[in-house]
Amino acid sequence: MIFVGSAKNGFWPRLLATFAYGLPVLLIVAPLASFLAYSFFRMEGGQIVADLSFGNYQRFFTDAIFIPILWRTCLLCLAVAALTILIGFPVAFLLANLKGRRRYLVLLMVLVPLLMSYIIKIYAIRSILGGTGFLNRFLLWTGLVDAPLTLFVFNLNAVLLTLTILLIPFAILPIFLSLERIPRDLIEASSDLGASSLQTFARIILPLSVPGIVTAASFVFVLAIGDFLTPQMVGGQSGFTFGRIVYSQFGTAFNWPFGAALATILGLVAIAVIAAGSRLEARQR
Amino acid sequence: MTLKLNRRTALSLALAAPAILSSSRAFAAKELRVMAWQGYADDDWVKEFQDQTGAKANVLFIGTDDEIWAKIKGSEGKDFDVFAVNTAQLQRYIDGGLTTPHDLSKLPNQKEVLPRFQDLSKVKGVMRDGKVHSIPFCFDSIGIIYDKDKVNPAPDTFEIFWDPKYKGKILAYDNGEHNFSFTALTMGIEDPFHLTEEQMGKIKEKLIALKSNVLSFYTTPDEALQLYKSNDVALIWANYGQQQVKAMKDAGANIEYVNPKEGALAWLDTWAMTSGVQDVDLAEAWVNFLLQKKIGQQLSERTGFGNTVVETGSAGASDKLVWLDFVEDPTKRSDLWNEVKAQP
Repeated sequence: MIFVGSAKNGFWPRLLATFAYGLPVLLIVAPLASFLAYSFFRMEGGQIVADLSFGNYQRFFTDAIFIPILWRTCLLCLAVAALTILIGFPVAFLLANLKGRRRYLVLLMVLVPLLMSYIIKIYAIRSILGGTGFLNRFLLWTGLVDAPLTLFVFNLNAVLLTLTILLIPFAILPIFLSLERIPRDLIEASSDLGASSLQTFARIILPLSVPGIVTAASFVFVLAIGDFLTPQMVGGQSGFTFGRIVYSQFGTAFNWPFGAALATILGLVAIAVIAAGSRLEARQR
Repeated sequence: MTLKLNRRTALSLALAAPAILSSSRAFAAKELRVMAWQGYADDDWVKEFQDQTGAKANVLFIGTDDEIWAKIKGSEGKDFDVFAVNTAQLQRYIDGGLTTPHDLSKLPNQKEVLPRFQDLSKVKGVMRDGKVHSIPFCFDSIGIIYDKDKVNPAPDTFEIFWDPKYKGKILAYDNGEHNFSFTALTMGIEDPFHLTEEQMGKIKEKLIALKSNVLSFYTTPDEALQLYKSNDVALIWANYGQQQVKAMKDAGANIEYVNPKEGALAWLDTWAMTSGVQDVDLAEAWVNFLLQKKIGQQLSERTGFGNTVVETGSAGASDKLVWLDFVEDPTKRSDLWNEVKAQP
């Protein structure tokens, strides 16, 4: 027995509590705080100067490129969220209707891609999407098209498609959980009272799965908006997103304070989306 | 006093004997401390150098420019005798008095180098105030890779990247600094590393036009190769030069490499002696040793880079090369490059 004496004031509980609060503070709160601090610094002659000012934020709002790119990126991520839900919902629905071992086997199959390195998946998708890639060769072979399609070759569409493929598991899981939580009796009662399957779906299942859908949407949106690698790798010359601007500030531009400010703004957008999602979810309950 | 010959002194005498016996070799028992990039001081060369001179060469391989600076500046030049450094970086070492000028009379092999490197006053960056601060050793250019099946005749100008005929078949490099420099060369600007506001504005416009003509901007040679394999690519701005050429040819691509007439950007690594060099003659012997035709040949075979003594694919004898230099404002170029990329 580890817990000796009073559970509240013993040595071990205290140590555990220190860890439980200390680790997140050290590994999450402190780095974020340093980001926030950096965002008020500025660069001078290749050196970071720790003078506090709003200059970086001012530049974000006055320079003509940042807001349009952020807006474009948000729209892209909304589209990704919508697509993942459209594709993920039927899968989750199927999963929830499977019984016993088979359900968890299929669930495992859905989650297996998460075990694979993200970079490898992007590389694989790249060789599928290319002008002479697998997809185009397949389409040419079937005779569906007579010249390679450029629709998905290194542009925003390719980013949309790749992010959707990468993030689908994150949409399936919360929707599946919310569907699984719907009491069987409700569905049975609905059909006992004469509702068709479509009516049951529209009036019982769909409304009750909204919390899952909202969670899925905010999950996917936040993951997509922070991504800089996918647009870099499949975005070509037109798939430029906010994440890539932030990334460039830490790399080639070597302007960490401005990069930190842009990252803070991106963080605020993500927090806003999560907050909106949880409010929407709370209202549904 | 009698000499006590115990086991330990006997042993040390035995060990020292070969060195004493071979004292005909000029630098017996001396030590040369070398700092180099991987590929610039291969084991077989080091061994041969040690056999020839009798000295011991300790080589430390470094991975970044900043690492060299940290080690040389950190010890004020005292921890190393000779080090490899590119011409752009070299300037801050000269500024800081961290180098010892070379004595060309001790480098007979320098007389045999390629014409391009004969007159060191014409190699930007290696000389200052009439003194030779470093000796060119290894270089590579950033030219054009073209697919021989798709581009005929061979291109001779960077303007081909703006040719609508190749729209969507071009890979360019994702870097503002280099892209402003090479576009400046294309537009006939004399010094591509120090641009005025007005020049930058014009180049930005031209880069926006470039953007709509390229398929994608790549960052690593692997990435470019993969893009080439799964797309209809005709032209590549070859940031990684011969390294990239080799990787593509190994993968079976029917490509060739060319430096355009406007001049290709090129990096140049050189050997410099530190201010703390212990034995100048030994350090010069090292540099002279590496300037042999045999070594140059091997260097190029092994690394793919150009050497200064034997002609290689990096540059033809009459190709114009523009040695890379620090640019006026890297952050500004990077910001402008983001603006280019952000254009819808």
